[in-house]
Amino acid sequence: MSVAIGAGIAVLTGIGAGVGIGIATGKATEAIARQPEAAGQIRSSLLLGCALAEATAIYGFVIGLVVIFMG
Amino acid sequence: MSGIKNQTAFTIPVLGGIPVSEAVLTSWILMVLVMILVLLLTRKLKPDRPGRVQAFLEMCVGSLNGFAQDSIGPRWRAFAPWLGTVAVYIAVANLSGLLGLVPPTKDISVTAGLALTSVCLIYGSSFRFLGLRGGLRKFAEPMPLLIPINVMEIIIRPLSLCMRLFGNVLGSFVIMELIKALVPVGVPVVFSLYFDIFDGLIQTIVFVFLTALFTGETIQEE
Repeated sequence: MSVAIGAGIAVLTGIGAGVGIGIATGKATEAIARQPEAAGQIRSSLLLGCALAEATAIYGFVIGLVVIFMG
Repeated sequence: MSGIKNQTAFTIPVLGGIPVSEAVLTSWILMVLVMILVLLLTRKLKPDRPGRVQAFLEMCVGSLNGFAQDSIGPRWRAFAPWLGTVAVYIAVANLSGLLGLVPPTKDISVTAGLALTSVCLIYGSSFRFLGLRGGLRKFAEPMPLLIPINVMEIIIRPLSLCMRLFGNVLGSFVIMELIKALVPVGVPVVFSLYFDIFDGLIQTIVFVFLTALFTGETIQEE
């Protein structure tokens, strides 16, 4: 029981990743709408930012797995 | 949920038994498939009149070179083949779930190995192109106060590369197994389009892109 609650708390990191990727994508859309000629550079930095923001969610997921299978 | 653990495929009966994990076996199968594909596709290359296959291949290589040039800079030439090889391996490994195989990138040892080669490339190329002094001075940039953080990045960069790929592939694997257990027919196909194809290819691009970006940053001169 407590293991399941711990894993659930660890996976709450997904909230931050979701909010972060949402903000990044919204800003990138605004930027592309303002300067369509820079779309390529904006897209690559968006991809990088999404990858870095998503990493927190992945860490939470990995920690959840560690809690379940090794705790 | 037994799929999360890494299975041992078979054991080589020498030196008291060497266990060969499922990831290694799947990698061997994928290597054979990729080699056959490469031999078939590059059989009749003509320099003057390219066929349709050759035009497609040249477009792929051209876009890879362009990507390396954009993210690494003037010294991209030496890195493009390595980036392409890793991209092909990770893409094929992530997509192998479609063939009914277990993706090798689900095993943390595989992604850890890939991340270690990446970090060797990143810091090795820094010392190779900037020399010993230049490579060491690179740690004191943009100011000497940040040396501890730059040194910590030697550990953090491969850790995050490794965990990102591993966590994504394992996460989508677990979700696909749950969906297959819930609705065996029809629905998994739709989800597999996202989790296997889209997510797998995005993670391939992210891994190669981050490696190229870090490499370009460490070999940059003033």
